[in-house]
Amino acid sequence: MLTGHYDSSVVVDYLCDQVMGQDLAVACFYYDFASREAQSPINMLGSLLKQLLSGLGAIPVEIVQKFRGQKRAIGGRRLQLPDIVKMCAAVTSLQRTFICVDALDECVPRHRLEVLGALGQILRGSPNTRIFMTGRSHIRGVSERELGGKTTSISIASREDDIVTYLRARLGQDTTPEAMDSSLENDIVKNIPEEISET
Amino acid sequence: MSRAFTDNINSFNSFNVSGDIILTATDDEPKILAWLSPLEPQVRHQDICEQRVDNVGNWLLETKEFRGWYDGRENGGENGGSDHAVLFCYGEPGVGKSYIWYERPSMRNEGHDC
Repeated sequence: MLTGHYDSSVVVDYLCDQVMGQDLAVACFYYDFASREAQSPINMLGSLLKQLLSGLGAIPVEIVQKFRGQKRAIGGRRLQLPDIVKMCAAVTSLQRTFICVDALDECVPRHRLEVLGALGQILRGSPNTRIFMTGRSHIRGVSERELGGKTTSISIASREDDIVTYLRARLGQDTTPEAMDSSLENDIVKNIPEEISET
Repeated sequence: MSRAFTDNINSFNSFNVSGDIILTATDDEPKILAWLSPLEPQVRHQDICEQRVDNVGNWLLETKEFRGWYDGRENGGENGGSDHAVLFCYGEPGVGKSYIWYERPSMRNEGHDC
């Protein structure tokens, strides 16, 4: 089910809408278990940097120099993670930046630690940057640890209350209330949230 | 993105925008961007948007957690609101999130375009 991705894409779209007329930058990344080999920390952080630079329409001189220098190495050489992180922190300091990372649980665990550490470094270098992440609850602890006390968490799973509230509201709009009795209403309010939890 | 900022870049070959970083316009930009990463998350974003039902998930944008995170800069004083720098949205797959997200906006009679 793509619900987590929906969640991220809604936030990314909302942020992109805010970019119009403001000094805002948005970069997103969607983890996908099927692409885990390609989604290394260097490729992931590199893609965030790529999006931010693409928005600026300019490249830091330091990166241009490293790009030209690496061509002399056999087969070329990638920009290394510490350099990418440093550049991300510098570029995100130029304007208010939002970084969205979807499905962090689909990232390889050892890569996840590295990426969270890198995001923490970017935040320390650029305190106005905002990071939005989604993932299954078992990675909540490690995320909060790596990102210090900067994390606010929202649980999606505990929203059964919302379903009940919603059902009661809809039952209140029933056009044939004579077909309803309190026993049926209680069954609906009890069983539907359970059914949803099991899907 | 800031238009004034981009204009400046076009006017000068390179310039110092802060103590830490000097930006430059270069013909090598496409090659450099490809060198930084072969991945294109924007493509994935478009794919997901196409599969998404309109207005799904908008409730999140109205939560106090999201507003606190988004507006954190104004609330945070000297530290730039870094107490709210990260918003982590967690849940197990298949808890019916898409159902809620599909229905709630219509219940509230408001929406947000993809």
